[in-house]
Amino acid sequence: MHWLYDGSFEGFLTALHRSYTHKCIPEELSSDNSTLTLLSESQTIETHLEIAQKVSKRMAEHFPKKILERIFHVFLCDDVPRERELLLYIRMGFKDISLLYQLSHETVYTIEAYQKRMFSTIHKMLAFTRFEMLEDGMLFAKISPPRNVLPLIGKHFVKRFNSERFIIHDIQRGFIVVWDGKALQTHPVLDASVPVLHEDEKAYQSLWKTFFNTVAIESRSNAKLQQNYVPLLYRELMTEFQ
Amino acid sequence: MNIDEKLQILTDSAKYDVSCSSSGSTRTHSFGDIGATHNSGICHAYSGDGRCISLLKILFTNHCIYDCSYCINRSSNDLKRAAFTPREIADLTINFYKRNYIEGLFLSSGIISSEDHTMQLILKSLKILRHEHGFNGYVHVKLIPGASAHLIKEVTRLADRVSSNIELPSEKSLLLLAPEKSKVKLFEPLKIVRNDALERGKKVMGMSTQMIIGASPESDYDILKLSDAFYKKGLLKRVYFSAYIPTVPHKNLPTINTPPPLLREHRLYQADWLMRFYGFNWDEIATQNDPFLDERFDPKLSWALRNLQHFPIEVNKADKEMLLRIPGLGIRSVGKILRARRQKRLSTVDLQSMKISLKRARYFITVDGRPVEQTALRYERIESTMLALEKPKAGTQPSLFDLVQSNRGEI
Repeated sequence: MHWLYDGSFEGFLTALHRSYTHKCIPEELSSDNSTLTLLSESQTIETHLEIAQKVSKRMAEHFPKKILERIFHVFLCDDVPRERELLLYIRMGFKDISLLYQLSHETVYTIEAYQKRMFSTIHKMLAFTRFEMLEDGMLFAKISPPRNVLPLIGKHFVKRFNSERFIIHDIQRGFIVVWDGKALQTHPVLDASVPVLHEDEKAYQSLWKTFFNTVAIESRSNAKLQQNYVPLLYRELMTEFQ
Repeated sequence: MNIDEKLQILTDSAKYDVSCSSSGSTRTHSFGDIGATHNSGICHAYSGDGRCISLLKILFTNHCIYDCSYCINRSSNDLKRAAFTPREIADLTINFYKRNYIEGLFLSSGIISSEDHTMQLILKSLKILRHEHGFNGYVHVKLIPGASAHLIKEVTRLADRVSSNIELPSEKSLLLLAPEKSKVKLFEPLKIVRNDALERGKKVMGMSTQMIIGASPESDYDILKLSDAFYKKGLLKRVYFSAYIPTVPHKNLPTINTPPPLLREHRLYQADWLMRFYGFNWDEIATQNDPFLDERFDPKLSWALRNLQHFPIEVNKADKEMLLRIPGLGIRSVGKILRARRQKRLSTVDLQSMKISLKRARYFITVDGRPVEQTALRYERIESTMLALEKPKAGTQPSLFDLVQSNRGEI
C-alpha cells in the first residue's frame, strides 16, 4: 500500500500514528503521487493536528534531544524519499532506543547519512547566503537550497544581525523567514513585489567582486577545486558569480 | 585614488598570506552589537584558486620601508602603492559583513614611516570598527615587529587572534634575504602578547605564524622541529606554510621560472596535522638521516612503511592511538570504529556498511583476527602496491584538488 500525506511534519506524524493503530508499514509513504503506477494501491492520510501533537509529545518524552533533532533534520531532507525509512527508524527507537546506536544497521546508517547531507547543506547556506541591503536598511536574501534548510538557518543570522532586520526567501519552496528585530517568523510568501535596493548596494557588490577576483592567485588557479567547494547550483544567487 | 582601486592594490598585496581561518573563537553575540563568531569558522566563498575566503584579507598599506628580497612589497620593487584610511577599513568590513560575504577582518600592513605609526593606524581602524560600528565578529591582526609594547597590547585586546610571521625557518636565511629582520625581533610581538596575558591571569590567545617554504635551503626536518618547539612552548597554536612563488629575480632566491613547491607544502601540512591531531612526534615523521619528506607518499603512510613491525593492527582491539596510525584511516573513520565496536565485534562487512574506505587500510589491518588482504607486509612488495594505489598523474604536481582531504584534517 502506498500512503499519501500532505507533506507537513504533522501529516508525517499522523501517518506514523496510523502505522501503529493499523499495525502495518506502508510500502511507500510520500506526499508526491507521481511515483504511483497504475497498479499500485494508494491511500490518502488526512492530517490530524491533535494526533500529531500527541505523537510529538510522546516522542519528546522518549527520545534524547540529539535523536529528535536528527528526526527533524531528516524530515526536512526533501530531496530524497526518506519518509518510510524515517518511520521505520522512529518505530525502532520506540521499541528499543539502543537499536538506534547500531551504526552498522542499514536504517540507522541511512538516516545518519541523510542527516550528514543536511548538516552539509546547512553549513553551506550559512556560508553562501548573500544579503542585499534594501532602501530602508532591511537585509534581504534569496536562497534556493537543494534541501529545505530554511527553518534551520534563521537563528544563526539572528545572532549576527540582532540589531538589524532581515528576510530570507526560499524562492523554490515559496517560504520566507523574517526577523523584525524582535521575533523570528516563518511563513509563505504573500507579497510578490520586487524590492528596491539601497543606493550604496551596487557599489558594495562591485567592491566585493573586486576583492573576490583579486584575491585568487593566478599561478595556483584551480577551477575544479573551487567547484568542489561551491557547486554550480549555489552560484546562481551568489553575488560574486553574477 | 578611488576605493575600488585601493582595494584591488591592497588585496593583491595581501593575497600571498596563507592564513584565513576564522575558527576557534567563541565570542557570543550581544544585543545591540552586530556580529558573532562561529567556533568552527565559516568559509564564505572560494576564490578561483580554490582557497577559502573567510575574512576580508587586506593590507592597510603596501608602502614599506623594508626591503626583504622575497617580498612583493619590498621598497625597491617598482609597484603601485596605496593606503586605506582607518575609516575606509572599518566601513568596508562592516558592509561586507552585513551582506554575509565574510566572517570578519584580517588586517596586515607594510611599514609606513615607522612601526609605531603603522600600528597606530591599525589600532584606529579597530577602534572605529569595534566601538563606533559595534562590530562583534572576527578580527585577526598581523602584529608589526618592532612596534611598542603598549600598542601591541592594545591592538591584541581588540582582536580575536594576532600573529606575526617568522618568514624564514632560520636566522641564517633571514640575514641573507631580510637583513632588517632578525629572529628575536620577529618573536618579540608574540612574546609581548603571551606575557601580557599571563600577567593579567588570562588565557593566552591562540597565535599563528607563517613560514615561506622553498625560498631558503632548510629541510623538512628543520621546519618540523621548529614548529614542534613553537607548539610545545605554547607560543603558537598553528604554523602555516607558504610555498614560495618567485616574483623577483635575486641571486639568493630560486629563479623566476621555478614552480612553487606545492607538493612539499602539502606534505608539510599533512605532517603538521599528524603532530597536532594524530599523536605523532615530529622526529617520527622526519629523521636526521632522511630530512625531507617522501613526496610519493603521505607522511603517515611513509611512517607505516618504515615501521612495519607494528602491523597488522586488529581493528577490534587496538586502542585509539594505534588505530589513528593505520594508513588510510582518518579521525572520523576511527571515531566510527570506536563507537560501533562498543555494540558488537566488527566484521569487514560492518566496516564497509559504515562506508569506511579500506583502499589503503586493508593492507595494514586484521578484522576479527583475519587479514583483509593476503599480502605479506614486506617492504619491497608493499611499497609497490602502495605506489599503484596512488593515482598516476605523470610528471605533474598534484593539483590542489588533492588538498581537499588535508583541509578537512584527515589523512
